[in-house]
Amino acid sequence: MRVIQASILLLWLCLLGVGGLALAPQVAPYLVIVNAANPQSSMDRKFLGDAFLKKTTRWGNGELIRPVDQSPDSAVRRRFSEEVLKRSVTAVRSYWQQIIFSGRDVPPPELAGDAEVLEFVNKHAGAIGYVSGAASTSGARVISVR
Amino acid sequence: MGTYPAVVYPTDVPTTMVRSREQKGAKVGGPRRTNRTLLVLLLSSLAATRSARADEADPGFSLSKFEAHGFVSQGYLRTTSNNYLAKTESNRGSFEFAEVGINFTQPLSEKLRTGIQLFARDLGPIGNYDIKADWFYVDYRWTDALGLRAGRIKLPFGLYNESNDIDAARVPILLPQSMYPARSRDYLLAQTGVELYGRLLLGAAGALDYRAYGGTIFLESTTPPGGPIVVQELTVPYLFGGRLLWETPLDGLRVGGSAQKLRLDSTFLQAGVSTLVKIPALLWVASLEYAANDLTLAAEYGRWHVSSTSSVPEDPTFNTKLDSERAYVMAALRLNDWFEPGAYYSLFFPNVKDRKGTGAQQHDVALTLRFDLDTHWLFKLEGHYMLGTGDLDRRLNGGAALDDLTRRWGAFLAKTTAYF
Repeated sequence: MRVIQASILLLWLCLLGVGGLALAPQVAPYLVIVNAANPQSSMDRKFLGDAFLKKTTRWGNGELIRPVDQSPDSAVRRRFSEEVLKRSVTAVRSYWQQIIFSGRDVPPPELAGDAEVLEFVNKHAGAIGYVSGAASTSGARVISVR
Repeated sequence: MGTYPAVVYPTDVPTTMVRSREQKGAKVGGPRRTNRTLLVLLLSSLAATRSARADEADPGFSLSKFEAHGFVSQGYLRTTSNNYLAKTESNRGSFEFAEVGINFTQPLSEKLRTGIQLFARDLGPIGNYDIKADWFYVDYRWTDALGLRAGRIKLPFGLYNESNDIDAARVPILLPQSMYPARSRDYLLAQTGVELYGRLLLGAAGALDYRAYGGTIFLESTTPPGGPIVVQELTVPYLFGGRLLWETPLDGLRVGGSAQKLRLDSTFLQAGVSTLVKIPALLWVASLEYAANDLTLAAEYGRWHVSSTSSVPEDPTFNTKLDSERAYVMAALRLNDWFEPGAYYSLFFPNVKDRKGTGAQQHDVALTLRFDLDTHWLFKLEGHYMLGTGDLDRRLNGGAALDDLTRRWGAFLAKTTAYF
């Protein structure tokens, strides 16, 4: 009897473990973060894309948007670019060449990694950036993209 | 008189009746001196601002965002026959195809920005590495919907006029020359004046990007050597225009139109008689672009209406009207990080009332291979199959009539660009 009970318990634990694995939340490919002072909790994808292309330069409260990018060869930049901007990283770089050399604007700063982006976002009130899904977002506000 | 076209239109003005200040041998005159003074003042103020701010703590809006960007290009051109843009018909081709530019921008506040670009090029008889202020401006952006720029500002004409010089920003070495003629750069690239600009969000309908500008173009008059005329004065009394682009709800799809009106006044001496020729022009283009993921598709169609009236009414040479037609379709597809091929077909009719004959048309089929060797260095190869000679410069071809040049010809180009 005890053997049966132990077997059932073991089976239940196994199922729980497998189920737990299956139901564990998937790590997002990237997280969009803003400064903690920013009241925004979600954002339209178009708005986000326009902010990173500097087509839209102000938050709703008039604060200057300060986007910050990651290194061009980083996986998180590639994913963000394709999903949010709907352009490859190279295409976005070409876009910025047009803007830079026609004197219209300059691209967002490119920082080396998640830690630098988080530091930038925590430091500047209007900042917005993205980090890889497993990265720390301590001090910043994670926003959802609609 | 026979050496000059019946109608002088912007494409031909710099290369026939008059020379732009960019051409070899151009005199240093008043407008250039003014520009150089402005340039020195602007550079000094940028340097002063930078040094004054360098040690400040970052207050949230960092004024340390002084940026410098630049590029250097060297190209090669060769044609199977006819000289195109340079002396390209010889066995050696031509290396007179180079550009160099550097720009500096400095935000002075959250809404105020200033910048300047110095540029030099050599393209056959044009440029000769004469350094000039390509653009310089003071830009105040109240909101995304309204901003004002003043200075020498690139003209927003069509999709790519503002980035015409920027090899790194596109696939082709030569943009379709029917729409963006490299040898008319002085007339089409920038104006000195003001520009209002903005972008209006339309909700689910996308967004509208608009520009309106007005000013002038400073030109220097030089007399072509050995010609029967002496150019005394060359002015652009007015230039204004605008561009409206609708960014549709479909990601990457833009539709719009541009128009520009200007007048060129030229006073010259011919056989001891001073003659004033006024050349009003209206240029317009309709544009369509789809750029999403790794694909770029673009098409544009335009007309340039140019007339000329002379103070000598009975002179038929300078009392004419001309309507030219220009169009192209272009595609480019990035296959990976380092390779992007592209192609276009471009057509040009200098006079829509006369579309027949070798010199009355130019069809251009181009294929380009772009190799990104590094994130700051690229190399391109490009081939053109041409039918017609309507866009060729007679002076580069021994003064021969365009109809007498080779009807079917090819061009090969190579170019490398480093940029930062």
